Amino acid sequence: MTGSSVGVDVGGTFTDVVSIDDDGDVVARKVLSTPTDQSDGVIAGLRALGIPPAQCARMVHGTTVATNTLLERNGARVVLCATEGATSLLELRRQERASLYDLTRHHPPALVPPDRCIAVPERLDARGVVRALTRGGAEYVASRVGELHPECVAVALLHSYRDPSHEHELAQALHSSLGGVDVILSSDVLPEIREYERTATTVAEAYLRPRVARYLSQLADRLKADGFPAPAVMTSAGGMRSAGEAARSAASLALSGPAGGVVGAAAVLRLAGFADALTIDIGGTSADAGLITGGKPLVESGGDVAGVPIALPRVLIDTVSAGGGSIGWTDAGGALRVGPRSAGVRPGPAAFGLGGVNATITDAHIVLGRIQARRMSGGITLDIAAARRAIEALAGKLGATVERTATAMIAAADAAMARALRRVSVERGVDPRRCVLVAFGGGGGLHACGLADQLAIRTILVPPFSGVLSALGLAMAPERREGMVSVMLSTEALGASDVAALARQLSQRAGAADDPEVTREWWARTRYVGQGHELDVPFTAGDDGASIARRFTEDHHKRLGFSLDRPVEIVSSRHAVTGQAREPRLRRAGGSEWSANSMLDTNAPLDVRISGLAVVTLADSSMLVAQDWTARALPIGGWLLEKNAG
Amino acid sequence: MPLFDSLDLEVMSHSFAAIAEEMGSILVRGALSPNIRERRDSSAALFDARGAMIAQAAHIPVHLGAMPEAVRAVRLRRPQPGDVYILNDPYNGGSHLPDLTLVEAIEDGGEIVGYAAVRAHHADVGGMSPGSMPQGATELVQEGLVLPPVRLARAGVVDQEMLELILANVRTPEERRGDLRAQIAACAAGAAEWRALRARESPERIDAAGKALLDYTERRARTEIAALGDRTGRATDVLEGDGVTAEDIIVAAAVSLRDNLLHIDFTGTSPRVAGNVNCPLAVTRAAAVFVLRTLLDEDVPTNDGIARAIEIVAEEDCVLNSRWPSAVAAGNVEMSQRITDVLFAALGDAGLDVPAQGQGTMNNITFGGAGWTFYETLGGGQGASSQGGGPSAVHVGMSNTRNTPIESLEVAYPLRIEEYTVRNGSGGAGFFSGGEGVLRRYLALEACTVTLLSERRRHAPRGMQGGGAGEVGRNMLNGVELAAKCRVSLAAGDSLSIETPGGGGWGEPVSNS
Repeated sequence: MTGSSVGVDVGGTFTDVVSIDDDGDVVARKVLSTPTDQSDGVIAGLRALGIPPAQCARMVHGTTVATNTLLERNGARVVLCATEGATSLLELRRQERASLYDLTRHHPPALVPPDRCIAVPERLDARGVVRALTRGGAEYVASRVGELHPECVAVALLHSYRDPSHEHELAQALHSSLGGVDVILSSDVLPEIREYERTATTVAEAYLRPRVARYLSQLADRLKADGFPAPAVMTSAGGMRSAGEAARSAASLALSGPAGGVVGAAAVLRLAGFADALTIDIGGTSADAGLITGGKPLVESGGDVAGVPIALPRVLIDTVSAGGGSIGWTDAGGALRVGPRSAGVRPGPAAFGLGGVNATITDAHIVLGRIQARRMSGGITLDIAAARRAIEALAGKLGATVERTATAMIAAADAAMARALRRVSVERGVDPRRCVLVAFGGGGGLHACGLADQLAIRTILVPPFSGVLSALGLAMAPERREGMVSVMLSTEALGASDVAALARQLSQRAGAADDPEVTREWWARTRYVGQGHELDVPFTAGDDGASIARRFTEDHHKRLGFSLDRPVEIVSSRHAVTGQAREPRLRRAGGSEWSANSMLDTNAPLDVRISGLAVVTLADSSMLVAQDWTARALPIGGWLLEKNAG
Repeated sequence: MPLFDSLDLEVMSHSFAAIAEEMGSILVRGALSPNIRERRDSSAALFDARGAMIAQAAHIPVHLGAMPEAVRAVRLRRPQPGDVYILNDPYNGGSHLPDLTLVEAIEDGGEIVGYAAVRAHHADVGGMSPGSMPQGATELVQEGLVLPPVRLARAGVVDQEMLELILANVRTPEERRGDLRAQIAACAAGAAEWRALRARESPERIDAAGKALLDYTERRARTEIAALGDRTGRATDVLEGDGVTAEDIIVAAAVSLRDNLLHIDFTGTSPRVAGNVNCPLAVTRAAAVFVLRTLLDEDVPTNDGIARAIEIVAEEDCVLNSRWPSAVAAGNVEMSQRITDVLFAALGDAGLDVPAQGQGTMNNITFGGAGWTFYETLGGGQGASSQGGGPSAVHVGMSNTRNTPIESLEVAYPLRIEEYTVRNGSGGAGFFSGGEGVLRRYLALEACTVTLLSERRRHAPRGMQGGGAGEVGRNMLNGVELAAKCRVSLAAGDSLSIETPGGGGWGEPVSNS
């Protein structure tokens, strides 16, 4: 393929666009987002890049349309067909309450209300058919569903992960009675045991699909009119899919945007010669922590988005409410607190001069002299006096100095982020001390040293294009297809030929990729018989049950600190076919006007070394080199920071 | 410069809480039994060298105020640095026998520098009935193997003889072995993280931070109590029998908010009873800590500082301060619920804005058959409040365990769930109506026994401010009503249906005229 690959990341404030041309050269732009119709901002961004549409070979989009549909609860009118006797699973959830101590709090409402859940007269159990679904039964259900005028139908029957026949039979009846309405089966979306998670994920797919499909087709039309190629979309798992396919896997787009950041971070990490890292993307209101192992973002199944469980593979991301706009305050116990309230973009930090008076993390950085640029994106000029006034007011309540207050605020924000970084690493058997910290986003460079010190990390990478790394990740993202099947067998029952057959079956399910140069990966969701949590154990067609069990035992010991003398079983298995990434060619131009008085990233000569304490001004952000740290300008752009020995 | 600057309190609070969270995560991911791994009937907590709890992972309220007792009991045994103790004796650091608590005395530089404690409800610890949640027990020893604090591991090496002794006294030893392994691993992870934190920040600074955090939490609790104003109130409620007789058991409480403290006096409560609804004082205290916790802002850290703002009077040998050899299995799960009901009612009587009563029971159901036991509890209606209707189909009060997925249950046990739905119409009427209970119907595919320990089958959850009562719960076997607490045999094909209570309504219902 010749021509540029373009990544477009739509965020709450800015739409970032990055292109990688045939030579690997990178161009990046930022334009304001257009929340009423995201595609306006997308088009504006593409124009700002200045690439002739004909030169744009592909465009990969990180979209928040699925996430926002869940947050705003304005998706499709879905009817759910569930096994008779188990029609209230969405309401029952997992029985835990919304808050341990606030007894008035409710869970967010289910995506399908009870009166749109239809009982299906059938029953399977773990061994076979208990009550057959008759043709008459299926037709009756189809007619009741029709009366409710759904935009989309979800079917989730008990034990369908092991036998999808009843779901297929019902789908047939629904298709012939409802014509063009989409019918979505739980055995297709998530063939895995545990009815609540499977049902909720299937319903999320049905709820999101019409709206996501509409948005993507409108965007494709606009792009086409301007001569651009059809957009591809980033999935939560960090792969790219064509718009047509993405529209049929809408629930897998719920974390489309943030996944791009970790993919971009992984690419820069590889170019810098590292393999294992923790990532932190620090924005205005929140920070996303992620994990990269072996040069690849960690992809796992499960988790919630906006209170909706979506148990599909996703790039691991742990989000905390801490960012540049987080507000410092004193509580009833007289303690300094930071967040979760944020001043956001408007009014924003006091220093933005847009009416904000609260002391924010950004104000704290300014007071400490860590942000030296006076102008920021969006035409904002920083008001240093206003930042100082805000911090002074808080310091007065605490009886502390302005500097001490600002330092403590930043340390508190670091602690919240460090806790998220610990969660993503330690719980997966990864020792943070052996990782590089990749810090990006508007605040990444400012918090990197503080976070590394809290986690005892000794190496930091502040990547080039730090402010638009998600868009870079999108531009690079390889095509990725996934397939999944239920297994529910002991590893002892699996010979080499069974494993090979399983691998083949999965490859068929994932479908062929357009790219002939693909990487194929298989994972078995494996546990000791009797356990409830699985570990994803990689395997290949050459494995047998015993070798998978051995790998599982080693991984179990590594992650949980022990292993057991018990049989091992495989719950389900998944497969990913990944095409080749568009690797960018990153290089530092190497400046000539470097001076210790105005340390501008763009002027830094190759390999220049800076000892802390120092501040380097990056495009759109700043980087703090703390005491006992040394920074080196990397040939690929960006900076490597290392803790001094001793 | 001082060792610890109060401006860094939030930093330390995060660091301590992260360790407790990590321990809880390792336990849940590594455990074998559905009750721990799926339902998360477990808690993890971190203690300082003096035995004060400085962080607890948010799991189960009934473990909240009770874990410090376990560490206190272990400290009395003078553990060596690195020792791991196990206990379940309700009169010596425990709550009820199925809750096996492991406490590691964290070693650093040859000294004990803190304690990591993990409590998990095991599906069986022996005794007179499978699942060790018997109905009709009148002595502690009938309820299972009693473990005073005994050493289970020394310097990282498990005492195999002790482990075999324990496993020889339970019905499902291999599952217990796996769950205990996960508990040991969780303690070890907590210990390692605690040592790492101390090394990074300096031990002196960490010790000072722990003290400061406890003081801060106490200050937050006292400040919020003071803001409620001086007031008094009282209330009485009953438990529907002790499993031996169906006679009502009185739980009475007088509360008083004064001197920035919550004073609770349980005088007037029934003396201890023959059956197993008695509570050791640790469980009674846990209920009180929970109730106070709900009055505080959600961001107040969970540690011993909260308990310092409570004073409790419970007469010796009353049902809320029972003594050996009284049986206690249902005290932890059912009497604890009634204590919270009474305390909320008394606070309401004192004029505080509190919710109507929730289902007030955990609906404990234990199945036992040839080679298997299975325990679960069911959610129901939460009471409505001035803020809105009560949430439906959730655990209320002292429990917050998750349900067992139908598919996981049916794969593992000879049972089928014929119906699992919201029990519509069971929530009490009101300006805001109470939450709905649930209906769960089990079909036995093999002969087995069932033990039920349930409540609110006679006395409905009350409404508040003129709101109506929730529906009482019902236990039915093949269409015939069973007692609230009973043990019955099921043949293959028998159908057991449990309807859980609805929550009380809040405020007068608006008439439709």
